[in-house]
Amino acid sequence: MNKIASILLWPAIAIVGAFSFAALALGRGENVSAVWLVTAAVCVYFIAYRFYSKFIANKVLRLDDTRQTPAERHNDGMDYVPTNRWVLFGHHFAAIAGAGPLVGPVLAAQMGFLPGTLWILAGVVVAGAVQDFIVLFASVRRDGKSLGEMIKMELGPTAGSIALVGVLAIMIIILAVLSLIVVKALTGSPWGLFTIAATIPIALIMGVYMRIIRPGRVGEASVIGVALLMTALIYGRAVANDPTWGPIFTLDGPQLAWALILYGAVASSLPVWLMLAPRDYLSTFLKIGTIVALAIGIYYVAPPLAMPATTRFIDGTGPVFSGALFPFLFITIACGSVSGFHSLISSGTTPKMIEKESHMRLIGFGGMLMESFVAIMALTAACVLDPGIYFAMNSPSAAIGTTAANAAQVISSWGFTITPDMINQTAVDIGENSILSRAGGAPTLAVGMAKILAQAMGGKSMEAFWYHFAILFEALFILTAVDAGTRVGRFMIQDMLGHMYKPMGNTEFLPANLVGTGLCVALWGYFLYQGVIDPLGGINTLWQLFGVGNQMLAGIALLLCTSVLVKMKREKYVWVTLVPTAWLLITTLTAGVEKIFHSDARIGFLALARKFSAAAAEGKVLAPAKSIEEMQRVAFNNYLDAVVCGFFVLLVVAMCVFAAKICLQALKQANPTVHEIPPLGPAQGVPA
Amino acid sequence: MKALELKGLSAAQSGAAGTSGEVSATEEAVSGRARGIGQICRQLFGIPDYERYLAHAAEHHPGAPVLSRRDFCAQAIERKYGTSGPRCC
Repeated sequence: MNKIASILLWPAIAIVGAFSFAALALGRGENVSAVWLVTAAVCVYFIAYRFYSKFIANKVLRLDDTRQTPAERHNDGMDYVPTNRWVLFGHHFAAIAGAGPLVGPVLAAQMGFLPGTLWILAGVVVAGAVQDFIVLFASVRRDGKSLGEMIKMELGPTAGSIALVGVLAIMIIILAVLSLIVVKALTGSPWGLFTIAATIPIALIMGVYMRIIRPGRVGEASVIGVALLMTALIYGRAVANDPTWGPIFTLDGPQLAWALILYGAVASSLPVWLMLAPRDYLSTFLKIGTIVALAIGIYYVAPPLAMPATTRFIDGTGPVFSGALFPFLFITIACGSVSGFHSLISSGTTPKMIEKESHMRLIGFGGMLMESFVAIMALTAACVLDPGIYFAMNSPSAAIGTTAANAAQVISSWGFTITPDMINQTAVDIGENSILSRAGGAPTLAVGMAKILAQAMGGKSMEAFWYHFAILFEALFILTAVDAGTRVGRFMIQDMLGHMYKPMGNTEFLPANLVGTGLCVALWGYFLYQGVIDPLGGINTLWQLFGVGNQMLAGIALLLCTSVLVKMKREKYVWVTLVPTAWLLITTLTAGVEKIFHSDARIGFLALARKFSAAAAEGKVLAPAKSIEEMQRVAFNNYLDAVVCGFFVLLVVAMCVFAAKICLQALKQANPTVHEIPPLGPAQGVPA
Repeated sequence: MKALELKGLSAAQSGAAGTSGEVSATEEAVSGRARGIGQICRQLFGIPDYERYLAHAAEHHPGAPVLSRRDFCAQAIERKYGTSGPRCC
């Protein structure tokens, strides 16, 4: 019976998928419903999961349910707990899904909906889900070891140390770019800022409640927290319109940057139960709730895709980010296709909760497919907007000016007809003063979500509410990431400094903690502040730097996976990881080198730096800079960005050499040389 | 969904049922289901699960002293966030 159902089901899914792609492909020139896009994606996920992940599980990794998992070995009812696979699937998904899959696809929408969709789908099946799955597998077979420890075990201590420095550098860039997204979303938005600011006292109330008033009652505290949050969101509009309070919550970019830097320093120094934990619960509720609501909304409303399949900006002249489709699409959409950061999560808490080895297929591979689905929905939300509105929100003021009239004229000249009235009306609809140049993805996604959710629930009058709800949803988990990331960064910095001067490594020693926190905040704060005051628009630079770093980390993780397969003597199947490794190395090394050396000043850091420093030396001021001092700052920052980018390139080249050496050695061996925990002895239940 | 029947759930229920006194079979079934949903939510959102810890302690270390709810949650939060790995982008 099951067999017959299966024989009927899979061809049916394939046909629905093919039909959806046909609708997308043949519907040129008229608006295609977003439902086709989402359906096509879902069919790809099901087929990839059913066939490819099964092949990896059975043939490549040979998952073995008789082997003990770390959760069984150390079962302590606290950290190591065998967990139901569907529950762990949700938990793992909530841990890997952040702002990344929401922002990248929105930025990439400037090339049309098709390039982004194809890369998200191909990337996740061939690279992203494979990486998450095999890293999780490697960690479970090594008693839940982290990525850094596994690199040390399999590729040697030098490789391990280099990788750790790389992870720290990538994390600094991530913290800066995430903060920049929040700044761009909240600049001049009193309603948004009030709601985000309110999350601080709400988290404190929750923290005190579950620690002191009703110890351990996290569920009750969460209910109170969500209720307070919704109250703040509803009353935010009144606060924004209030003659006294409105201006207090209206901040400009640099003020918000300083506020965030201060927040990062203070929040990461507070006890975790007071702020980080309650805020994380809130953000997880909102995250899962919003994603489910968006999926239902897209199917219920079935909005047409207003963005064309491809735009002329695939040639690299786009206003949102510069650079041609190859290689820059592949670093702009990182999370959603393949994200190096997942390798840190897949080797974090998840491997300690796996009940059986066979569950890793659903959790590792399936979890990443789910994240990819979020990326597809983000892309959809951006592409249902009128393209004129999309470009008004995402182009820097250097390109479209600062008035609706000017912006409408420039954007219409690109071939996306829009009137100043439409731009102004959109701002009114969402309860904001202006929508111009709100780069960073979050506001665009929020407008798209507001349009979809308002059609499903509440109508036009609710659009402003849904817009600020979406901003809250994104800002909340970004701020949680800033808090948690600053802590981790501090530990890593203290660990490194501890090698040079012993007391610095002591995390119980207050001065050492302050130095560590200060250094970490100063590092990401510097990049954040430069991004905020960058006359060329900071997202343009920082997001690509982040993309290069994140994909490099994915390359490193996949190099580890490749080495693991070779050392297991499964070289017959090594293409499973070698193909995505090669593709990632090709795209990111090309992108990295082009970002540094490209002769076009819109793409190459060095070209732009030279252009500005040469002009400054002659005493000329180039637009959009306004003074010689600004000119020199632009030049210096681009030199710095070139150095960071160069560091990522060298890092991944070094890891390539390490991995190649190890693989060649392992190929000569007749037996597996991998460092796994051996399976249990047959009878006595102790390690053999 | 059959797969949603949680392993260890019955142990958690019997561990907690001892305190509830006499209840009818239907009431017990309803509260048992509510507890099951509560447990799924806790695990899903990563909230400390004291009931599961009690069940684990009762099963594996009977008679040994257990942490209070307050201490268990404090420790769980400290371990999860105090030295937590990097958060995703």
